Amino acid sequence: MRSVIQFSAKSELKKRNLFSAWTAVIMSLVFAGFLSTSALAQTQVTGTVYDAETQETLPGVNIRIKNTNNGTATDGEGLFSLNLDSTRATLVFTYIGYITKEVEVIAGTTNISVMLSPAINELEGMIVIGYGAVRKRDITGSVGQISSKEIGKVTSLNAEQSLQGKVSGVQITTTSGAPGAGSAVRIRGVGTFNNSSPIYVVDGVILDDISFLNPADIQSMEVLKDASATAIYGSRGANGVVLVQTKSGSSALDKPMVSYSSEIGIQQLEKQIDLLNGREFAIISNEIRPGSYNNVDAVPNTDWQNLIFDAAPIQNHQISVSGSSERGDYYVSLGYFQQSGIIEGSNFERITLKLNNTYRLNSNFKFGNNITIAPYNQQVAPNATFAVYRAQPLLEPFYEDGSFGVVYNVGNPLADIEYTDNYNSGIRVVGNVFAEALISNSLILKTSFGTDAALNRAENFTNAFTVFNPDGTASQQNNKFNDLFKAEGVNYTWLWENTANYIQDFDKNQINAVVGLTLQQTRSELLRLSGQNVIREGEDFRYIRPGYIIDEANNINTLNSIFNGVDANQYYNLVSYLGRVVYSYDNKYLATVTFRADGSSKFAKGNRWGYFPSLALGWNIDRESFMESVELIDNLKLRASYGILGNEKINYLGRFSTINSGLFSVFGNPDAIFNAATYGVSGNSNLKWETTTQTDVGMEIGVLEERLLIELDYYNRLTEDILVPLSTPGHLGNGQGQRTLFNAATVKNTGFEFSIDWRDNVGQLGYGVNVVGNTIYNEIQSIGGNSGVDSLLIGGFLANGQSVTQSKKGSSIGAFYGYVTDGIFQNQQELDDYPSLSQAGVGDLRFVDTNGDGQLNGDDRTTIGSPIPDFVYGFSFDLNYRSWDMSVGFQGQYGNEIFNGKNVVRPDPYNFEQHVFDRWTGEGTSNTEPRPSFGGYNFLPSDRFIEDGSYLRLRSLIIGYSLPPRFLERLGMSGARIYVKGNNLLTWTKYSGYTPEIGSGNVIANGIDAGIYPIPRMILAGFNTTF
Amino acid sequence: MKTIKTILTITLFIFFSACDGFLDVSPQGELTQEAFPTNPEDALQATNAVYSSLRDWHYHSGGFPILDFMSDDALKGSSPNDGSSTVGPYEDFTHSPTQDGLDRWWNVLYQGIRRANIVTESIPSITMDEGLKTRYIAEVSFLRGLFYFDLVRAFGEVPLVTTSEPDLKIPKSPVEDIYEVIIEDLEFAATNLPVKSEYGTNDLGRATSGAANALLARMYLYRSDFENAETYALAVINSIEYEYDLEPVFTDANGQNGEHGVESVFEIGAAATGGAGGNQYANTQGVRGTPNRGWGFNRPTISLRDAFETDDPREEGTIIELGDVIDGITIQGDSQTPDQTKDGMGNVIEIESYNRKVWIPGTSTETQFGHNRRLIRYADVLLMAAEALNENDKQGMALIHLNKVRERAREGNATILPDIVEMDKDLLRDIIFQERRVELALEGHRFWDLVRTGRASDVLGPLGFIEGKHEFLPIPQSEIDLSQGSLIQNSNWN
Repeated sequence: MRSVIQFSAKSELKKRNLFSAWTAVIMSLVFAGFLSTSALAQTQVTGTVYDAETQETLPGVNIRIKNTNNGTATDGEGLFSLNLDSTRATLVFTYIGYITKEVEVIAGTTNISVMLSPAINELEGMIVIGYGAVRKRDITGSVGQISSKEIGKVTSLNAEQSLQGKVSGVQITTTSGAPGAGSAVRIRGVGTFNNSSPIYVVDGVILDDISFLNPADIQSMEVLKDASATAIYGSRGANGVVLVQTKSGSSALDKPMVSYSSEIGIQQLEKQIDLLNGREFAIISNEIRPGSYNNVDAVPNTDWQNLIFDAAPIQNHQISVSGSSERGDYYVSLGYFQQSGIIEGSNFERITLKLNNTYRLNSNFKFGNNITIAPYNQQVAPNATFAVYRAQPLLEPFYEDGSFGVVYNVGNPLADIEYTDNYNSGIRVVGNVFAEALISNSLILKTSFGTDAALNRAENFTNAFTVFNPDGTASQQNNKFNDLFKAEGVNYTWLWENTANYIQDFDKNQINAVVGLTLQQTRSELLRLSGQNVIREGEDFRYIRPGYIIDEANNINTLNSIFNGVDANQYYNLVSYLGRVVYSYDNKYLATVTFRADGSSKFAKGNRWGYFPSLALGWNIDRESFMESVELIDNLKLRASYGILGNEKINYLGRFSTINSGLFSVFGNPDAIFNAATYGVSGNSNLKWETTTQTDVGMEIGVLEERLLIELDYYNRLTEDILVPLSTPGHLGNGQGQRTLFNAATVKNTGFEFSIDWRDNVGQLGYGVNVVGNTIYNEIQSIGGNSGVDSLLIGGFLANGQSVTQSKKGSSIGAFYGYVTDGIFQNQQELDDYPSLSQAGVGDLRFVDTNGDGQLNGDDRTTIGSPIPDFVYGFSFDLNYRSWDMSVGFQGQYGNEIFNGKNVVRPDPYNFEQHVFDRWTGEGTSNTEPRPSFGGYNFLPSDRFIEDGSYLRLRSLIIGYSLPPRFLERLGMSGARIYVKGNNLLTWTKYSGYTPEIGSGNVIANGIDAGIYPIPRMILAGFNTTF
Repeated sequence: MKTIKTILTITLFIFFSACDGFLDVSPQGELTQEAFPTNPEDALQATNAVYSSLRDWHYHSGGFPILDFMSDDALKGSSPNDGSSTVGPYEDFTHSPTQDGLDRWWNVLYQGIRRANIVTESIPSITMDEGLKTRYIAEVSFLRGLFYFDLVRAFGEVPLVTTSEPDLKIPKSPVEDIYEVIIEDLEFAATNLPVKSEYGTNDLGRATSGAANALLARMYLYRSDFENAETYALAVINSIEYEYDLEPVFTDANGQNGEHGVESVFEIGAAATGGAGGNQYANTQGVRGTPNRGWGFNRPTISLRDAFETDDPREEGTIIELGDVIDGITIQGDSQTPDQTKDGMGNVIEIESYNRKVWIPGTSTETQFGHNRRLIRYADVLLMAAEALNENDKQGMALIHLNKVRERAREGNATILPDIVEMDKDLLRDIIFQERRVELALEGHRFWDLVRTGRASDVLGPLGFIEGKHEFLPIPQSEIDLSQGSLIQNSNWN
């Protein structure tokens, strides 16, 4: 066996690129140092390296003396100089994207010219796949990738937003337009009833979210989708993995690069909901309750939406310095992101500090750190969206004296905003320190100790206030004593990972393997306090002190409530063993075998370990001799993978049967209260891992000299033993409504994915087109059912307690549930002829007797829609011509439904959507819109509130101009670009609400618009420069 | 290389040795079942927890006293719409297996049974005062007997659970088997529990041997075992140490003045201090509107008013009419509820009125939570004794107990409620039954009394009662569904 480096020239080419990330730099550094101290001028060789096609000089080419570790790299002009140990030597020139070349030289030769040919067909680019990197050509899994160029196209605090419409198989749904809100990320459907989010691996640290990360610090993001790619993350791979590489020091030697970028913009409401105005509301009210308003033309008209929504600024700035020296390289950045909400009283700001350093002790050993420190501050407005939707338009916001006017049943949203002060703030520190040793040319050992520490605080304050009725009495909207709620949560995770990477070629056999051992501990603690009547309302008095409030009953209430405990989802230990072998024969036949064993403290001893293997095969057909004659096709790969993955994002308490100590009994005369305690709900000590079996078949094609790249995949994910909280029979004695976790459900997700990329230029006009899309078929195959537990999961509870989703066998996860409507009872005869609920009258909706038993009751409710789209897609174009560039990105989804929940909850007279004007007023007048009512029967959850959630959105539009070099030189800049950008400029949808993008982290309460904070349209202008 | 090997070896060693212990993470701030109950204080708390189920909102017949709705004594009440589809159907026997409240009641009864089983299983191994240990077990035996009696008379055959960890699927047990457990439990309780006076003031409300004997009497009466009913009722009455008697004032028998008083055989302690110690039983029935004491369910019927003899003070002590002044507070009632409801013929069919027996002095809703519901009171024991004695052809003795109840009812007014002198067994049976109705009205007895004496279809038939069906409630549909076939619905309920 020989190491790669001692092998043939061809093999060395591969190897060089594998290690190019750092070995080349080390070597060049070592030699740069050597040069400066050496006086042996006779042994020197100097020269220039050129691109063989363009004749341009190539900077940063690695040059190594064969069979040694000595070498250098070319400078910015393509020049190099190297001292030889002997009079003769063979120099090996390697450069990413070029064919490696060996040149024999004699000491003392100067000005040799070396031509490197571009390796167009080599696809030598490396892709990071978790615990290592492999050549793109060797990949057998389904991996989507976006570069830093894509990441800035949508301005958001969350880098994951950049994936929307760019990577097939990925669905990103913003959960709210409020500043600082997160998004629901789903990769290849919804795999479980529990946390269905992917994990994020930022520079090797495994995390649940990346909201702390400045998108500008990201070099690339890779989405690992199939079992071959994610199995290395074992118990956390079932919902996909998003790998994030942050930027590192530039390779240019001793020349720090300073980048500064800044953008500023304005956000506004995309559209208003069509509600009744004052006069229209009075007309409808008079029909419901005759005589409510004597003169409908004299009632006031308040456009509540106008009062609440306002244009709001957004800004984003960062500066970074990066560079490289003999002993290491560095990337340091400082970022500031600020977004005001389009509803007053909402705001988010974040500072990010990034420190990525690598230090080289010698050519075989380096260590470093990747650290992010991100403090944030968020102001949360009360839910004004739901309030303005409901507020009667003929009520005035203010009385003549300027005080807040009463808004019956809803509360004046302006007063809510005025008197409420809700803040979240905190700091997140995420990072690792690592050390890497090159043991031999084939073996690298790496150890990394990472932490994720988060301190989150909440402070909610409500003033004491009263909104008065017109007659001067206090309305329902009042707060007798000011309220103060405080919460503090600490999360702390450490992760120690030890890996050995082995990369070796044996003739035509190439092996890239990794084994590893990791330990993780996650801890958390929460403290929540609420109290009343702090002594003054100013910000300086937001502290809970004993004895402030004395209520009518003369009770001294120091605190209303206290909670202290751990976050049950964030308290566990994990031990893992992992291994992977990527094998390639003659670059034609590929195989990847992955295995991970995870032991989690969340499970009892016998079920503690989960084993997650995967196998994938690939065939680079274009390498076959019979393909040589097919010139059209440059690249053709078939691949297939199969593997088992896990999901361990569950509550650690599920397996324990805990004691309920919050009980009381009352004895004695006079009555006295005594403590009582007994077993709580039975735990399930048999809990085990959820497992997802995923099969993927894919094809990659590159044609027309790689101008057209197509990637196609079929996936089939079957998640079994899903942990679901199910009702148990009453005789177990758990009590009403109590649930126990069982490994009971099975869910299937299947679909096709495609990604098409076309890139070419016509003269000086370069252009690209990218289209991605995927289908999703989601079906529950079982939920409990045969073991004496429940067979369905009810969710999506609205503010009035009605539930609107029911997940059961045959439906999709979180399927909407309600009555099916079939027109309107036009007359008494129809009412008598059809089964109906007792509340139904003529002019009301006719519900279908779906089970055909001749009676209409709750059993006739059925599945009426799904929040999961059938098809998720995106397409984008980009153009560049001379100094101008432009890009347009569209994104959309098709085939999902939205439950318009805000229209359903009507315990009191609220405003209506405009369509109420099409109401039934007599036989034959309408068969869709029933007679108006302020609530009740017609507002029972039914398909009347199901709307088509399909949409297409102009997600981003950017036009940029790069300043000409001669102008930049005068300013001392190396690059500068100004641009204007629009996000969410246009949305095509039938949905009546503010936004069709309604996400939720809770998969059984998804797609329900209960008054969502609208996602704003943004228009920004910015510039970026480098020095 | 050597250093690396050493490091690797050490690392591997640390990993393998650390793993097992590293993966043992205990719940934070939570006791687990392995650690409870393990000491005398735990034993007391676990015992108290069984009593806690008695204050559960679901215990009181699913939140509302639906059992009186199913009789000729009460209507749903409240405002016309409130609860009309949830509990309204019990009024006219149109309730179904999915009816609101059924599943909750079923669940809370089994929750109480489980809590009792936990005590009987785990306390014996605790090192503690043996006397207390026996008392705790006897207390929870009484309560388990009470819960099973509720189950068996409401649903008939039900799953019999005598362990804290039963199987997921258990078929129904024959009624006889369930009664066997009830008898065993109550006998053990009667033998081992202290009498009321032996408890300290702070422990009033715990089960007593008197309560166990009284419940045995009631159980035997339901089974028409009049010999045993007589024996156990007289055991309560004749015992010197029990010291039971009637409150001189009728309203004190259920009111605040009589809490843990001489007439109280078993009552559910409740404190007015908010949720932790409160009982919503009285709140659900409290005066609705002005003063606002509750939801106003369980409205007395006109038939109940007519049942009282002329000038029987118990009518006023049972029914709150609009305009009444109680403890200085004028009852104005609810603006959403018609003062009188008439049928199509113009006959008054419902009068806004409320249950006087749950009245607690005050004007707020909170104090109403402090009502101590009497599950067994001495007047009931006297009437049970009278009934059993009459059936056992001891009319003379029966009349003594019957007239004792009437004597208290007249509260010194000699012109009303004359002593009964009837010696004919059949006639006396009706008289005693009539006396039960007016004495115990709205206390949750009427429906069961009608069913057990075979009078239900006569009396309740016009309201919708169907013989052979409505004697039992249906097993909650949710339980049928969860059982996957191991529970069979009661007859005529499918």
